[in-house]
Amino acid sequence: MKRLLSLAVRAAKAVSLVAVIAIFIFPFFWILSNSLKTYEETLVFPPRILPAKAMLGNYLAALSRMPFARYLFNSLVVNALVLASQFLVIVPAAYAFAMYRFKGKGLLFTLVLFGFMLPQQLTFVPIYLLFGRLRLLNSYASLVLPFAASSFGIFLLRQYFMGIPAEIIEAGYLDGVSHRQSMMYIMIPMAKSALASIALISFITHWNDYFWPLVMTNTVKVRTLPLGVAALRVTDGTTEWNVLMAANMLLILPIIATFFVAHRQIKEALVHSGIK
Amino acid sequence: MKRWQVALLALLAAGTFAAAAPVKIDFWYSMGGANGDLIQSMVKDFNEANKDVVVTATYQGNYYDTSAKIQAAVASNTTPNVSMVVDMHNAMFASAGVLADLGPFMKRDKVDVNDFIPGLLDWSFYEGKTVSLPFNRSTPLFYFNKDHLREAGLDENGPKTWEELRSYARKLTRKGERFGFSCPIDIWFYLGMVFQNGGEVLAPDGKHIGFNNDIGTKPIVFWREMIDEGIMKMPPGKEYNAWDVAMQDFLNGKTSMIMTSTGYLYGILSSAKGKFDVGTGYLPRAKQYGTPTGGANVAVIANKPAQEIEASWRFVKYLTDVPQVIRFSQKSGYMTSRKSAVAGPEMQAFFKGNPQFKTAIDQLYEAAKKRPAHPNYPQLDKIIMDEIQRAVIDRSYAPEQALKAIDAAAQRLF
Repeated sequence: MKRLLSLAVRAAKAVSLVAVIAIFIFPFFWILSNSLKTYEETLVFPPRILPAKAMLGNYLAALSRMPFARYLFNSLVVNALVLASQFLVIVPAAYAFAMYRFKGKGLLFTLVLFGFMLPQQLTFVPIYLLFGRLRLLNSYASLVLPFAASSFGIFLLRQYFMGIPAEIIEAGYLDGVSHRQSMMYIMIPMAKSALASIALISFITHWNDYFWPLVMTNTVKVRTLPLGVAALRVTDGTTEWNVLMAANMLLILPIIATFFVAHRQIKEALVHSGIK
Repeated sequence: MKRWQVALLALLAAGTFAAAAPVKIDFWYSMGGANGDLIQSMVKDFNEANKDVVVTATYQGNYYDTSAKIQAAVASNTTPNVSMVVDMHNAMFASAGVLADLGPFMKRDKVDVNDFIPGLLDWSFYEGKTVSLPFNRSTPLFYFNKDHLREAGLDENGPKTWEELRSYARKLTRKGERFGFSCPIDIWFYLGMVFQNGGEVLAPDGKHIGFNNDIGTKPIVFWREMIDEGIMKMPPGKEYNAWDVAMQDFLNGKTSMIMTSTGYLYGILSSAKGKFDVGTGYLPRAKQYGTPTGGANVAVIANKPAQEIEASWRFVKYLTDVPQVIRFSQKSGYMTSRKSAVAGPEMQAFFKGNPQFKTAIDQLYEAAKKRPAHPNYPQLDKIIMDEIQRAVIDRSYAPEQALKAIDAAAQRLF
């Protein structure tokens, strides 16, 4: 009886797990399926789960409808610069908050957390006006500088640094390493997984970001891929969903690839951040 | 050579040099997909024909995204030179001095504003200035599945009046399988019905709404009754999603008659090809035929160097001149905005092959009504939308209450 019960519980667990997985996978599957259909097929009712005949032409159409290479290049540049500058800012800041004692540290850290709590909707207008005055709109700077530091990253890394056993750090000091060396050769290697988490979350956020580049840029020269994909939508008329979905596939491929390579770190990142 | 001759030569040289450097202007537009490609190719042709001007055209999201971008650009001094401006935002931007007066240019270059179809000029003027010209304009249109109508023994030219619409819908509905009629609960169709009842958006005093009586309640009651009878589907979804649902139902034979934009005409015709015959008609009349218009105008942005304004005007003139009007409307399905283009042999030949498109133009000539070109109109527009949707969905909210709320808002806004 007991065994039967536990079997039932396990079965129920498995079923609900499969259901949850299906719910999460389905949108991606639906993008893929529609990206292979003809336009007419995207509109039929009841909807077809699989295309009658897989059409790769939608991908070519998506590529030719926009300067894809330009958008992709911009996305890569912006994301690389954001990641690099975040690394340069976050690591020393987190180290200082974790290891130094100085006047006003509590206040400064509160400020960092405050930045974490302010929603973008509140900050984008002043930032936009500031960048307008600095004549930095329509540039990579307007897409990178506002994210050059990450409150979330500083917070997460500081917590991680503080969790590193004091013995290890003290051993380093006894061996005569400086703060800089301790940060570079002790802390960073030990915080690899936290750094990877921060980088992944940052990458996913900025790769997908539609709102910020839409506000800050007016020209194709610096615009990123999500804006290019959105341009395939039609204002009052018939949007070719099949082409739009093909473009979406191209957009999310790097994210999916990242996920397959680093799903363990992503899980960890989500645990660290308390499910963002 | 005398000194003044040298000076003159230098001046000439400088002049030629300056002329050799092309004027660069930015054009913002709001159309993605194939229509966006069409815009880009029109821009390319302009650039090739005008070596002294370089137009860079950039997509800025839908109409409302573009408006928001212009507002932000004004604040940060990064405005484009030419932009599409969605119909009802023209007065708002004009009142803020953002749009250049095209009047003097039109007079100089003998561009006759009266050659544009009057129904499309509702947003072109502000305080005596010509602030924009019609470009990608559309109207609602009545679409029906001719096969369904024939099957049910109905006139295949479609219903002409509200009551005919109701009886057609009744005969075409098959419970649980097909709706006779579907229409998004949207201000566009609502205002059409107000116009059909002989109403106007604003009363003659300009402070009150012109439909705070049975003119305004009848459309809501009509919709409510048809929905309750199960012969009209209220397509679910927010904003344009509801429009897409209506269109998809129509293409799948789940709905026999719909109202939607002329902007969908080509998509509907090509998707229905080989499946069923598509008929188009005027929006059915009550006292008279009536339809609002929609879409966007093109405007030149003010407060720029004279050289750029001049180049911008030349580009706008090109976009709105007869050859491009014909090209644009034939390829995109937007309204042919100029009378001389409609009357010309190219469009007449085109109408023969596309009678459904002809219907849309005829309705525009005959039945288009204006909305008030007031800077605050967009706010009233939103309130009308919210109130009528509430009145259709929430049966404890009387249509009269909705109109009262709209009228109170109008008094605040105008």
